[in-house]
Amino acid sequence: MSRAPWVIAGTVAGLAGLLAFHTTPVKVALAPLPTTTQPSSGGATTTTQPSSTPRSATGASANYYYGTMSVSVTVSGSRLTNVTIAALNDGGNSLSQSIDQAAIPQLEQQALAAQSAGIQGVSGASYTSAGFTQSLQSALSQLGL
Amino acid sequence: MGTVVTIDCFLEDAVDPDALDGAMDDAVKALHDADDVFSVWKPASPMSRVRGGALRLADAPDVVRDVLAACEAARTASGGWFDPWSLPGGVDPTGYVKGWAAQRAVASFADVGVLGAIVNAAGDVATLGQPGRGAPFRIGIVDPADPRRLACVATVDGGIATSGTYERGAHLVDPVRGVHRTAVASATVCGSDLGLADALATALAVGGDDVLARIEDLGGYEALTIGHDGVWANTSSFPFAAGVAR
Repeated sequence: MSRAPWVIAGTVAGLAGLLAFHTTPVKVALAPLPTTTQPSSGGATTTTQPSSTPRSATGASANYYYGTMSVSVTVSGSRLTNVTIAALNDGGNSLSQSIDQAAIPQLEQQALAAQSAGIQGVSGASYTSAGFTQSLQSALSQLGL
Repeated sequence: MGTVVTIDCFLEDAVDPDALDGAMDDAVKALHDADDVFSVWKPASPMSRVRGGALRLADAPDVVRDVLAACEAARTASGGWFDPWSLPGGVDPTGYVKGWAAQRAVASFADVGVLGAIVNAAGDVATLGQPGRGAPFRIGIVDPADPRRLACVATVDGGIATSGTYERGAHLVDPVRGVHRTAVASATVCGSDLGLADALATALAVGGDDVLARIEDLGGYEALTIGHDGVWANTSSFPFAAGVAR
């Protein structure tokens, strides 16, 4: 009898990947590919982080489809271990009850959908991706990453 | 590009964590290398330099010629609706490269003992193996009328790409009329080559029914469009997941 599959959540990072072994799907940690506007990944120094005291930062507020959001990121050394939406302002939209659901960017959407509909991903870009990415990059910059 | 990419692996038994870590690093590197070579937002990338005339195509890395050759094939297959040479600023293979790069990345996991792996580059999804024994990958397709919802679920063996105006505004250019125009709100293509699927999805979004018919004839690729009016059209064997309400 085979065991339930272990799900590995992986990330693409400008710096490093994260592997976490879990028995249930986890909220995926993520990082954007570097862009030309970001402090160049070539400038990332090779200072070795002593081990993994977690550090967190919240990025600047960025626009998304329904309003503004800011993203928090936790890193351990130079690896991302968690990403969440820290704040959400939907401008009093009457759909605010479901805004948490609505504003969830691609990755969290995937995780939630996977748990509800037995899917492993979503095809079709998230309308929040630009704002989410901007705020995330802002948070990473604060952490010197 | 600023593209957010996720990578997930599915295991049946424990695997060597170092091997898996190494595969993850290879996958990340494949994505970054593709960006370094092809990003038209990086002035120093070989693709930018070819576009600008500073680098002859013959002197560019082999992979640039390989990708442009694949883009020519995609242009032909799409009846000209996918045409990187028609874009302002010079040839821009971005509509092919994102899927191509995701597929190269997922191939990194081929020999490390995982049951399956998936690389999702902002909606271009490359898969390897399966997420569970005897279970195909199931990928949700976003409803263009309400991106919080899924329009449907497809079973995927290979890759699946979706193109649509709701992503970041009207970024698609109609190579025939040269204007920002889409025939449909969302265009999805699945098949074994994600680069080609990506290009065909881009073509399908501007070319609509004409491209849908070409994909039907192409064989090996299936497509689904959702119109601005909410009407659906699909190729005859589009892999809708069984038992899922549409």
